[in-house]
Parts: sequence; structure tokens; C-alpha cells
Amino acid sequence: MSKNIGYPLDLKMNHYADVSYDEKERLFEEVKADERYHHMLYGCYECGICVASCPSAKFYDFSPRVIAQALAREDVDLIYTLMEDSIWDCSQCFSCDRCPRGNSPGQLITIMREVAVRNGLASAKKALEGYGRIIYKIMSTGSQVSPDMLQPNAFPDWGVHVNEIAENLELWRKALPPETLHTTETGWTVSDKTIIELYLIWHMTGVMDLIEGIDEGLFMILVDVMEERLEDAGYDITFD
Amino acid sequence: MANQNILIIGGGPAGIEAAKGVAAMGFKAILVEKRDRLGGTPDEAQYAALTPDLRDAETALNEMKAPLEGNPNVEVMYNTLVTGASGSLGDFTIKAIQMGKEVEIKAGAVIISTGFTHFDPGRETQKYGYYEFDDVITLTDAEKMLKAHNFVRPSNGEKPKRVCFIQCVGSRDRRLGNEYCSKVCCGMASKQAIEIRQLLPDCKVFIFYIDMRMYGYWENEIYWPAQEKHKVNYVKGMATEIVRSGDKLLVKGEDTTLRRPMEIPMDMVILSVGMEPSEGTKQMASIFGIGQNKYGFIETTGGPLDTVSTSVPGVFAAGACTGPADLEDSVSMGGLAAMKAMIAVRQADAVPA
Repeated sequence: MSKNIGYPLDLKMNHYADVSYDEKERLFEEVKADERYHHMLYGCYECGICVASCPSAKFYDFSPRVIAQALAREDVDLIYTLMEDSIWDCSQCFSCDRCPRGNSPGQLITIMREVAVRNGLASAKKALEGYGRIIYKIMSTGSQVSPDMLQPNAFPDWGVHVNEIAENLELWRKALPPETLHTTETGWTVSDKTIIELYLIWHMTGVMDLIEGIDEGLFMILVDVMEERLEDAGYDITFD
Repeated sequence: MANQNILIIGGGPAGIEAAKGVAAMGFKAILVEKRDRLGGTPDEAQYAALTPDLRDAETALNEMKAPLEGNPNVEVMYNTLVTGASGSLGDFTIKAIQMGKEVEIKAGAVIISTGFTHFDPGRETQKYGYYEFDDVITLTDAEKMLKAHNFVRPSNGEKPKRVCFIQCVGSRDRRLGNEYCSKVCCGMASKQAIEIRQLLPDCKVFIFYIDMRMYGYWENEIYWPAQEKHKVNYVKGMATEIVRSGDKLLVKGEDTTLRRPMEIPMDMVILSVGMEPSEGTKQMASIFGIGQNKYGFIETTGGPLDTVSTSVPGVFAAGACTGPADLEDSVSMGGLAAMKAMIAVRQADAVPA
């Protein structure tokens, strides 16, 4: 309801498409409905301890105090603006947990981010854009960084040895004592049973729906991989 | 021998407490009250609930003054105004007018507890339009409505959807000459905000403030519950102007936390008016020749370690006639003034003139 005039925080008010007040309220209600919410937000008396302890606030136009304030005031317009922008500047270090009133702006942001992702907000898509490759790797293989991702041109700062290692990657991996690490396409050996269980978890817990909302291309690639593998294992599952 | 009467001027919480103490110790308490009933400002302004415990004000005041009734050591003189004083410690002669008749009172010591008056919002230095807009009211106006459990917009009788308080109206303002903090308005506003939220759960309540000053237990008894349980919105930043916008009021100010000017529509605005010395306080200071501070309150001379002695021996002051005071202060000072007055009378006898 409040009118914003020349908002000095660098919250680019029209950076993302504006939505109806009802939609903003719905998103806020979803944040508020999170079970953790009421343990993360009490009241705020503007002491600034959270901002003082915040590493992101030193580098970005970001204020955990504004997060707590906006939520405490239930300022639906501002909350939406923050969800489309500021919440992605938080480094989730939770230094702000030292709040004397017991608030946790960082954990409130965790909830807001989850809501942003669940609802496919533009800011969430943008923030997660750079992580598509990692999400693909984790979700399809169950391991995060794999040795074959260490291509020399991607990591020039790793020095000259990276070339030598990349050329003989399989040999280097076999030099490692645990047999489970003799892999190049995954970080370690992932058993069939594990991967099938992971796929079932992604499916049953709604993670695939999240991915679909955030990155449809990634979703389609994952579905191809997963459906085939699940079918081989005797599961008749479709992701849509 | 010194006169054993203690004259108490003003029958508010400080005066009642002083009279009770004097009587209980076997001295005679003469309690002079200009109105026809005791209770002082909390009664006159029809407080709904006391700050900070939200106890029903009428019940609490009745309970407080009950021991005075039928007490052989207490004489309450209603409808009485003190008009003159002579004498000194141990032997004061006070002239008063009771229902048009002049009366004379003898007393060994005097306690002044003539209290405060609420700041007149017509004198504020911003542009709040108290006398212009029906829906701009004061804490005292709001208190009366809350007591009647009928909190509605004066302009149209409808229940408000958005209400805000503006703090420090008439306080902490060099241009007005009232540089002091009135001490109780933060607590009162927060208490009323809670009451409004309880009465009208759909009504949003905002408090615009410079600093919230809720010392001691008022912090967790009023401030925190108002924010955390009753979802009162505290906005650090003051309003400077109220204008009409359709049938709403538009409050202009700065939201300093979010670093932006604000123009917020409201259905009602409550001005948190501060305290000024009452007419009675200024008159008593003049009649007894007691030093006043530059704001017109009676000046106590003992610093923080003696809160009730004045520049005249045998004359003590208690409660909000000495400056902004809450009920806790007033009642504590009333008890202390009673004790100091009795000690003064005793010592006047012990030391030969």
C-alpha cells in the first residue's frame, strides 16, 4: 500500500514483471505457512546487529534488517520485491542469528528462496541459471563434481599440472586406494540401487516439479535419463 | 508544637497514595481535590486500562482509594481549590475555596500532587490537523473510546481498517519548548495498539516513532507482545503532515528503516500527546513560592536521591507535577512524600525554633 518514491536501496522495482497484489499475498502466505517461520521472526527494533554481522551487506546493497522489517510489517509489496531481488544476495552464513530478539533473517531468506523456487519466480530462475550443470550432475548421477569436469580450459588457475592430470585421468584415479573412487564420470561409484532410489525420491518428493518450474530444458534432459533407467529397473513412471 | 496535619493537594494516584501513608502512620491527612471525586487524570480522562499491566483502570483506582473512605485519619475536601498559603514548616495556614466558600486549613507540612495536563495538539509544530480532521484524535480521545469498547472513526462511525499512532507529539521539540520526553506515551500507545488489535482483529495498526522508550519491564510486558503477538507495525520515522485523500487521511513521513519517504493512507490517526504541567501545578508553585523548572513543572531539589523535596522546607511534591511520570513513579513518589512530610513535622518539633 505504501508508495515508494526514489527507493535508495538498489532494488530495481521494475526489474521483474509486477504481479497482482493477490499473487504477492499468496506468495507471502506460503512463506508464512512454513513451519519454521514463527521460530525465525519475532519483532525487530532496528538495532542493526544483523547488518553489522552480515558479509553480504558489506558488498551488496543488501540488508538482513530490511528482510526482518518487511516480514514483520507484512509489507506484501516489499516482500515480493525482496523475493525477486535481495534474497539472492544473502550468502546463507547465518551470522545474523545473533539477533537479540531471536530473529534469523538468514533462515527467513531460506524459506523465501524455497517459495521463490517452488513458484518459479524469475529471480529464482536467474539465480539458479549458473547451477544447471551441477544440478544435472547431482540429480542424474547422485554425485556432484566428477573428475571429467576438470577440463584444463575451464580451470586455467589450477596451473600446468592440470593438463597432465586431465590427459591421464583414468590412471590417476586408479592410483587412489579406495576402489569406489576409480571413476571419471562420477565422483565415486554410485550403485544402481542408489541411483534408482534417488530418482524415486526426486519423483515422489516433488523435486522434479520444482526443476520443471525453474528450468524446463534441464527438466526434459533429466526426464529422458531417468525414465529410461527407471524403466530398465522395472518402474513404470512418467514425469509430467 | 508543630501541626500534625499533612495537607495533600490533588487527589490523583500520587495524592491518594500519600494520604493513605499519612493516615496509616497516625497523622491526619487532609486531601484537597478540585473535582468532586478522587482518581486524578486516570479517572478524569477515563482511562480504560492501566499501563503496563492492562488492568481495568476503574477497578484498580477504586481499590486504591477504598482505604480512604471512612478513615478517621483522612479528611477529603472535594470541590476545593487552594488559593493562598502562609507560614512555614510546622505551621502552614492555607486558604481555599470550597463550593464558593472560603475555608482555612492548618497543616504542618504540605504535599503537592497536582499532576499534569495533556499537550494540546493544536500547538504542535507539524501539520497533523487535530482540529481540522475528525479522524485525527489523541491518546486521551482513543482511551475514552477503548473504555467504551466502541473504537470507530469519528467522521462516519465505521470501524477503522488502518490506524496509526504518531509519537512524541508535543514532546522532544525545541521549537515548542518541550525538550523533554514525556516518558509514558510509548507505553500508552503500544498498550492502546494492543487493545485496538484485540477489539478489531482486521485493523492494521502502525506506530510511527523516533525512539521507542519502554524501559525496564515495559519492554517485554508491552513492546515485545505488541510487536510479536499482536502484530503492531512499528515504523521508525516521523510523520510531518496529514492531508485528506478522499475519505481517508494520507500520512506523510519518512520510513527511515527502509530508507524511503512514505505516504500511507489511514482511517484514523492517534496523536501521542505528551505531558505539560497542569494549571493547578503552576498555581501551586506560585502560591507556595516553589521553584519551577523552565517547563513549568515543580522542581525537586534533591537530585536523583531525593525525588520529592522542593525549594521550600515542609513542602513536598509527588507525581507528574514534578515532570513526566508514569503511575509507578507517581505512586512511589506519593509514598515517599508522605514519609518525608511526617519526618519534617517530627523534626520541626525536635529542634527548637
